[in-house]
Amino acid sequence: MPDFDKLDKAIHEKGRLAIMTLLASRVSWSFQDLKAELKMSDGNLVTHLRTLHKLGFVAVTKEVLDRPQTSYALTTKGRDAFTDYLHVLEQIVNAGKA
Amino acid sequence: MNEKARAEEHLRVIRSLMERATIYRAISAPTALVGGLLAVATTAVLWFGDNARLTTAPPLDGRRFAEIWLLILAIVLGLNAFFVRREAQQDGRPFLSSGARLALRAIAPCLIIPAATTIWFFKNAEPIDREILVAVWIAFYGLALLATALFAPRSLVVLGWAFLLTGLAILFWPKSLGDDPRQMYPTLAMGATFGLYHLVYAACVWAKSQAGTRELLATE
Repeated sequence: MPDFDKLDKAIHEKGRLAIMTLLASRVSWSFQDLKAELKMSDGNLVTHLRTLHKLGFVAVTKEVLDRPQTSYALTTKGRDAFTDYLHVLEQIVNAGKA
Repeated sequence: MNEKARAEEHLRVIRSLMERATIYRAISAPTALVGGLLAVATTAVLWFGDNARLTTAPPLDGRRFAEIWLLILAIVLGLNAFFVRREAQQDGRPFLSSGARLALRAIAPCLIIPAATTIWFFKNAEPIDREILVAVWIAFYGLALLATALFAPRSLVVLGWAFLLTGLAILFWPKSLGDDPRQMYPTLAMGATFGLYHLVYAACVWAKSQAGTRELLATE
């Protein structure tokens, strides 16, 4: 029977789960948009994004338009990990119904 | 809390975050509030102004009627730009977010007909038939709101339908409601729709945002 131990711990942390969820909803997010949406401090958000980047879940793009801007997007590996995470949650819910 | 309940709670939070990220509200509550108050105030001024000169002067000229409402539109658009810019500055975001650009692309085609109708009336109609003009303004404003339905919150879609149906009703109502020698029905229609509808919408959005904030804080 599936349980919470099977969930990817890197994603399961509340802050990182929120980041992964937002990144899954659009092609890419700027740092400022993520910060505004999640109401996180700069340091907290940077730490979580760095963790997800090291795991290969998040791609980082830096560009200079009218000002320097950093954008974040899910990699294929990140999207697969997020999909697997959702599947485990669904399995837990469905197992509870049986 | 057992594992099933915990998993359901996680899925609910994920869905809520995703919905929030993909929804764009083309009309903010402050804009709706200010626009609604301005429309109601304008209607009141026109109504009492007309009553004051009931026996001494003819009804307000159709051209002047249109000019007054276009001025109100310009003021509301200016205030909306101010609200959007202030919010963007507070969040450190660009003035035109991706959601705003998407909404503008959806809304723009719906504004061509009312803009063209208004220009045509100013150039050709003598006197301006304000009932048709008002019906076009209201109906196409409703269509513009409905054009954002794919990524708009439900309250905005309901507002769009309310405008569209009211605009259609206005095309038929003068015949059924009897004579309108002072031509005040179009003024009242503007006050009811752009005034009262927007005030009700602003109240609903504010109530919901308060409840949403409380719910999010409770789950965190």
